[in-house]
Amino acid sequence: MGKIEWAMWANEQALASGLILLTGGIVGVAGQFRGWQFAAYGVAAGVFVCLLEYPRGKRSKGTSVERTGQYCFTVCVKSFGPLTRNYYVRAFLHAALCVPGGFMLATVLGCVCLGISSLIYLGAAIHGEQWMPILPQKEQTRKPVGESIKNPPQNPPPRPPAELRRKRVEDLEGAAYVNPIAVTAND
Amino acid sequence: MVVSVRSWVANEGGKHLVLVLWLGANTWLFLRTFLLYSTGQQYYYLYKMLGLGLCISRASAAVLNLNCSVVLLPMCRSLLTYVRGTHTVSSRKTRRLLDKSKTFHVACGVAICIFSVVHVSAHLVNVVNFSVSYSDDFPALNVARYRGEVRHTLPGVTGVLLVLILFLMFTASSYCIRVSNYEIFWYTHNLFIVFYIILMVHMVGGALKYQTNIEAHPPGCLRANQSSPEQQGEELEQSEDEERRCREEAHFQPHCPQTWLWVSGPLCLYCAERFYRYIRSSDPVTIVTVIRHPCNVIELRMLKRDFKARPGQYIVLNCPGVSSFENHPFTLTTCPTENKETFGIHLRVVGDWTERFTELLLPEQGIASEILPMVQQRRYPKLYVDGPFGSPSEEVFNYEVSLCVAGGIGVTPFACVLHALLNGWVGFRLRRLYFVWVCRELKSFYWFAELLCALHHKLWQENRPDYLNLRLYVSQTDKLQSMSEEKYRPLSSRLLVGRPRWKLLFDEIGKTNKHNRVGVFCCGPKSISRTLHRLCNSARYSGTTFEFNKESFS
Repeated sequence: MGKIEWAMWANEQALASGLILLTGGIVGVAGQFRGWQFAAYGVAAGVFVCLLEYPRGKRSKGTSVERTGQYCFTVCVKSFGPLTRNYYVRAFLHAALCVPGGFMLATVLGCVCLGISSLIYLGAAIHGEQWMPILPQKEQTRKPVGESIKNPPQNPPPRPPAELRRKRVEDLEGAAYVNPIAVTAND
Repeated sequence: MVVSVRSWVANEGGKHLVLVLWLGANTWLFLRTFLLYSTGQQYYYLYKMLGLGLCISRASAAVLNLNCSVVLLPMCRSLLTYVRGTHTVSSRKTRRLLDKSKTFHVACGVAICIFSVVHVSAHLVNVVNFSVSYSDDFPALNVARYRGEVRHTLPGVTGVLLVLILFLMFTASSYCIRVSNYEIFWYTHNLFIVFYIILMVHMVGGALKYQTNIEAHPPGCLRANQSSPEQQGEELEQSEDEERRCREEAHFQPHCPQTWLWVSGPLCLYCAERFYRYIRSSDPVTIVTVIRHPCNVIELRMLKRDFKARPGQYIVLNCPGVSSFENHPFTLTTCPTENKETFGIHLRVVGDWTERFTELLLPEQGIASEILPMVQQRRYPKLYVDGPFGSPSEEVFNYEVSLCVAGGIGVTPFACVLHALLNGWVGFRLRRLYFVWVCRELKSFYWFAELLCALHHKLWQENRPDYLNLRLYVSQTDKLQSMSEEKYRPLSSRLLVGRPRWKLLFDEIGKTNKHNRVGVFCCGPKSISRTLHRLCNSARYSGTTFEFNKESFS
């Protein structure tokens, strides 16, 4: 129940499939298996898929958790515009990438896993999801200062008239006055 | 911050000991199997054909057997709750280890994934070697039917299926997915039963064979018979040597599958546990009252036959009217007692399931109906409760001094503790409780304001005012806030604005409880629990040991 975001799961799957394809390709190339050219392709395709899928997209509802250090990848992937934003493109891209992996035993697992993630991306695209980059938000402006500071008092505090305030050297005690309004510190 | 050895050992020692034991068991199993296959006489010919790939694949398979059997045990929650409850069986140290059962499950899961990768890679090399090093001397040893063939075998096909299921389970288990779309995680993780069934038939078919007649045919003796003509002279002398003579051909036999020995015990235990939980939760509960609290919190009081729970435990709710298969955990805020059989939870409405559930419980009241209350028969949705399950907060009563730190809705386990104290605070080992509750808004404190005041008054009446040391913090500092009601005076006078200063709090508790063991219980956001964990491990306090226990909701 509720709105499931399939794209997030497809993204995890595609990243894992990229790694599986990469590992299978490395084993195939290192062991010089028959058909090692497919394994070399697997390495290249695996790296490409990992780079494409590393930046996580933004969730439509709720907080998005970034992967470590994904900002530069986000910028790269974002620059392709609608090619990376649309999940139909990703679904068909993964489906196309996975096919050559099926011709060799070492990369067949990567092929199947990438195929599954391509299907889930197709499902996400049908649900209308889109990839949106997670960009750091602008610094929150500081809390605006309270209104009272903007309007300083127009009038000085009440004081007795000038002649009483003038300090009289001969009568220092008479020069002191009691402030008519009590002045207390604000809490 | 300097880490104190004694505090570190008290807090981290048990976990790290279990980790070391588990790593040791894995390493020992790996090395033993590796050496068996590389030096064992019965695998001599197989090793010559396959090389290192054989040893690595079998060693990783042994480690996989161990981890696949052990991974199920931390998930037997009812069993763990029972072990936690029986104080005679386990000491507090063992019970604190049970808090980390989910972490152990994750560690075993990660080990399964890593060793699966190793195992599959090694078997890929084996497949190539089976086809390239096709042995004409020992045709029974081969898997390929002719040189250069890559053949489909049952282990191969089942292996691919296993990796696919593991791939689905693993990709849906990341923290991100669990937090945002828990259903995907739950449904894929329940594929484990298919995984185990396929795992048990994985080895049927026996691709790897061992030699059965080592005494009659010592490995390597065939070559002695087929040596070059120049050595014929020496051969004739050595042919009388009993040990080097082959009396018969080498016979090979495949292994019987061993995985079921490892896996069947824990699998049966886990299936029994799930069955028991299903039976126990099949009795629907009666909803007695629904109360709406400020800040989007609903309190639910229920009644169920034969339901017993201890303070700090949690239950899992299933409401078919909202979603048939989703189960959500909630901590109990009131436990059933001898006098009162109802139990209650507080749930915060955030997310689809809770929103829909609240709509079913409290249909939206229009303004008109508030003026003229309509008497209508309340039809509550059907609700099933599974549990109760144990949690770290049950230990609050087992320390002499406890510090409970709650963040927002994380106060629920401690609310149950406070209810239990209200019913009778004598008789527990607990002699002082420091209760710190941090909320964003002031209105959140109204969830349990009456409970706190009632407990405070009771303790004052019974002449133990120092039993409960209460501090409330409101972290949002922009508005001037206070609780104005007269009956909540004890709370408003203990209310502080701003975030708490944990170091000062720990200093104060340390000074007043020297050479004591203080239990710290935290249920709240990660930032608070991290800070508290660090403070518990540091070395500042005069002989006081702080034992950190964390309750997590995800």
